[in-house]
Amino acid sequence: MWKTVVRRFLIMIPQLFVLSMLIFILAKFMPGDPFTGLITPQTDPARLEELRQQAGFYDPWYVQYWHWVTNMFRGDFGDSYTFKVSVASLIGDRGLNTLWLSLVSVILTYLIAIPLGVIAGRYQNTLRDKTIVLYSFVSYAIPTFVLALIFLYIFGYQLQWFPTSGTVSVGEDPGTWGYFWSKVYHLILPAITYAFLATTSIIQYLRSEIIDAQTQDFVKTARSKGIPMNKVYTRHIFRNSLLPIAAFLGFSITGILGGSVFIETIFGFPGMGQLFIQSIMGRDYSVITALVMLYGFLALLGSLLSDIILSIVDPRIRIE
Amino acid sequence: MKKKNWLMLLLVGIITLVLAACGGGSDSEKGKDSGKEEVDTSKLADTVKNDAEAKSGGTLQVGLVSDSPFQGIFNWELYEDAYDSTIMEWTSNSIFDTKEDFLISDEGLASLKVDEDKNTATVTIKKDVKWSDGKPFTIEDVIYPYYIIADKDYTGVRYDSDFQNIEGAKEYHDGKAKEISGIKKVDDYTMELTLKKVSPAIYSGGDGLWGYAAPKHQLEGIKAKDLVKSDEVRKNPVTLGAFVVDKVVNGESVQMVANENYFRGKPKLDKVVIEVVPSSSAAAAMKAGKHDILQSYAANQYEDVKDLKNAQILGRPELAYSYLGFKMGKWDSKKGEVVVNEDAKMKDVKLRQAVAYAMNVEEVAKAYYDGLRTRGNSLIPPVFESFYDDSLTGFNYDAEKAKSLLKEAGYEDKNDDGFVEDPDGKEFTIKMATMAGTDKDDKIVQFYIQNWKDVGLKVELTTGRPIEFNSFYDKVQADDKDIDMFMAAWGTGTNPSPMGLYAKNAQFNYSRYTTPELEKLLADIDSKESLDADHRGEAFKAWQEYMFEQAVTVPTYFRTEIVPVNNRVKNYDIKYVDGAQLQDIEVTEDAPAK
Repeated sequence: MWKTVVRRFLIMIPQLFVLSMLIFILAKFMPGDPFTGLITPQTDPARLEELRQQAGFYDPWYVQYWHWVTNMFRGDFGDSYTFKVSVASLIGDRGLNTLWLSLVSVILTYLIAIPLGVIAGRYQNTLRDKTIVLYSFVSYAIPTFVLALIFLYIFGYQLQWFPTSGTVSVGEDPGTWGYFWSKVYHLILPAITYAFLATTSIIQYLRSEIIDAQTQDFVKTARSKGIPMNKVYTRHIFRNSLLPIAAFLGFSITGILGGSVFIETIFGFPGMGQLFIQSIMGRDYSVITALVMLYGFLALLGSLLSDIILSIVDPRIRIE
Repeated sequence: MKKKNWLMLLLVGIITLVLAACGGGSDSEKGKDSGKEEVDTSKLADTVKNDAEAKSGGTLQVGLVSDSPFQGIFNWELYEDAYDSTIMEWTSNSIFDTKEDFLISDEGLASLKVDEDKNTATVTIKKDVKWSDGKPFTIEDVIYPYYIIADKDYTGVRYDSDFQNIEGAKEYHDGKAKEISGIKKVDDYTMELTLKKVSPAIYSGGDGLWGYAAPKHQLEGIKAKDLVKSDEVRKNPVTLGAFVVDKVVNGESVQMVANENYFRGKPKLDKVVIEVVPSSSAAAAMKAGKHDILQSYAANQYEDVKDLKNAQILGRPELAYSYLGFKMGKWDSKKGEVVVNEDAKMKDVKLRQAVAYAMNVEEVAKAYYDGLRTRGNSLIPPVFESFYDDSLTGFNYDAEKAKSLLKEAGYEDKNDDGFVEDPDGKEFTIKMATMAGTDKDDKIVQFYIQNWKDVGLKVELTTGRPIEFNSFYDKVQADDKDIDMFMAAWGTGTNPSPMGLYAKNAQFNYSRYTTPELEKLLADIDSKESLDADHRGEAFKAWQEYMFEQAVTVPTYFRTEIVPVNNRVKNYDIKYVDGAQLQDIEVTEDAPAK
C-alpha cells in the first residue's frame, strides 16, 4: 500500500504543475488588475503605472510565471496586493479561523447526524424515522443564507445568547482563558448553522445503509447465533454502514479549509471563503493563485486520504 | 478618498438579494409605488439631540458596516482602504483643521503660510504638544512623512505628480540626492517647503503639501518596504489624536482608549470600540442596542433604520456625484493626451442634450432612492459652497424638449419603427456601458432605456448586460468601440479641482473630450489669480457652465449619506465645518438604549 501512496504523491506533481499553469494564465486573463480598484480623482495614473511596472505586470507571462513558481518553491507566495501582508501569513490568519470553525462544525455535524441516521434506519417507517427524514429534507432545502440570517436574528439579536459578529472580543488578551473562551463562544452559532445544514447527506446515507444491512446474511447469521439485537446494531450493522461515510471523510478533512462565503459574510467571520471571493473581485493575483494551488493540493490529498481510510475500515478493499 | 467602494457595493448587492429574498421582494414593489413618502434630506439633522445628563467616562460602541474585513493599515501615508481611514479618524494624525470648502484653517496643530512669489509654504506647529506615548511632537514628525512617501521602496499611491511638485522629491526618489532639497527645517517648530509651482489647490492640501504627521521616533528604524507590515503601523501606532489604538483583532475590531496627551484635553469617553458589522444585520444590531454609531451605513438601507425608537438618523451630503459620460474620442497613450474624434457618434451637442433631458432622474431618485439621492445639476457637489454654481438649471426631465432637440439635430423617425434614424437616414443605436450592481441598479438602467425609447432613441447595453466592475473600467479606459456612453460616479474627496478628470492630459478624462476653451477654463481654476478666493469661485462657475452647455459629462445624482446614532450619545455630529470635537463626545446611559 505504501508504494501506492508514494506513487500517488508523485502523480500529484504533474497534476499540480498543470493546475498552476492554468490558474496563473486564467488569473492574468481577468480584466483589470489589483490597481483598478484604486482609481479616484486624487490618484495619479502615472503612479499606478509605476506600481504596475514594479509589480512586473508588463513582463511576458512566462517570465512572470517563472518568478512565481521559483518563489513558490522557496515557500514565498508573495504579498497580497490588497492587504499588503505576505500571502502565507494572510492565509495562516484566515485559515486558522476557518480551521476552528470547520472543525467544530464537522464534529457537531457528525454528533447530530450519526445518531439521527442510526435511529432513522433502525426504526424505519416509524414516527421517529419520518420526523428525522422530514428534518433532513428541510435542512437540505433551506438555503444557507436564509438559515444563517434566521439563526442570527433569533439567537443573536432577539435572545442575545451569542455574539453576532467577529471571531473574538477585542478586549481579551491573547493567550488567556478569557480569550480562548471568547473564541469558542464566537464559534458556536456559525458552527451550529453549518452543522444543521450539513447533516442531510450523512443521515440519508447512514439510514439507507442500515436498512440494507438489516437484510444481509451476516446479520441473519449473527441473529441466529443468538446475539442480542442491540449488539448486532452496534457491532455489525453500524460498522458496515459507516463505509460510505468513511469514504467522504478524507474530503471532509481537507474541505475544512474551504470555508463558507455565506456563513462568513453573515456572521462577520473572516475566513477562507470570503478571502477567496474578495481576492478574485479585487484581482489580488498572489492570493488567488496561492489559494487555488492550496485547494488543488487539498483535493488531491483528500481523495488519497479517503482511499486510505477506506482500506483501513474495510479490509476487503486494498489499494493497488 | 473612497476606494474599493465597488467591492463593497458588490457585496452589499449580494446581501441585498439575500434580504430581498427574506423580505418578500419589497424592492420591486417600491419601484412601482412612486407615490410613497420621500425623505426630505434637508430635514435630516446633522447633530444629535440629547439633553440628558452625561455619565462620566464610558465606552462608545461604533459599528463599521462592511461585508469584508478591514485591511488594518493605520498610517496615513500607506493606507488604501476607506475603512482604514474611517478608523484612523478617531486617532488622527492630521495636523491641519479645515473650514468651509475644506480649506485649511489655522485652528489645528499646524498653520500654513504660503508665499506665492517665492513658491514656498511654511508650516508652523504648536509647541508643547505630545504624542500619545509622551514623546514631544516636533517639526521632524511633520517632515518625516515626506521621506516615507518619497522613498524608493515606498509602495503606496501617494508618490504622485502632485508630490513631485516639491523641489527635489523626484531626485530623492530616484536616488540622485540624499535629501529632499525642497524641505527645510527652520527650527524645531517650523519648516519651509519649496515647490515648483503654487496653485490654490495648496489650501485644499494639494500641490504636494502633506497634511499628516508621522511619529519619527517610532518609525525611524523601520525600512520603507517593511513599514506596511510592521506592528508599529498595524498594532500600536502612536497618535496625536483624541484616541489611541489599544488592541486590534485583525480585520474585525479595534479598541481605543482616550489619549491622555491629546492637545485639546483628555477626551471625556474612556474607550471607543470599533467593530465590523455585516451589512445584512447592521440595522438589527442598531435596534438591539449593540452599537452607538453606525459608520459607512448604506443609504439605500434607510428604510430599515428610519423608524427605530432608540436611534436618531443623521444625514449629510456625500462628496461625490454620479454621471452619464459620452465617448468623444480616444486616449493617445504615447503622447499622454486626449484626442477628440470629430466623427464620434455622439458628436452633436443637441443629441447629447436630448439624451440628458430624456432621463427622468427625478423619478428614479424618488422611487428607488427614497430621495436620498437628488437630481445633480453640476459636476461640483453643493457642499463646496464657494465653488458650486447653484444657478445652473441642470437637465431637468423634459421629454418634449428632448424630442424637439432631436428633430433640430436631424434625428427623425423616417421608417416609423418608433426609433429615430440619424441625419443620413441610417438606423441609429446608442451603446451604453453600465456597471453591474444590485438588482435595483439593473431596474434603474431599464427604466432609463424606456425613457429614451419614449423620445425615440434606441439605447442598447454594451455586451448586452451590465458589466462587472473591473471589465467596465477596462473597457471604458480602452475606449472600447462599443461604448458610446457610460454611467459611473466620482468621489471628489475634499479637493474638488477638476484638473485630474477633465484636462487634456488626464487619463481619467474618460469622455476623451477636450477643447482649447475647456483647457483655458480649467487652467484658470488652478492659476495664480485664483489664489484670490473670489476669482477662483468665478473660475469654477465658468467651468461648470461650460460643461453644462457641452453636455459631455452629464451629472445625474448627488448623494446623501446617513449615520444612525443611538439615543445615549451626546455632543456628536457629522458636520463638515465647525463640528463637535471628538474629545467632547459623551454618553448619557451605561449601555446603548434598546
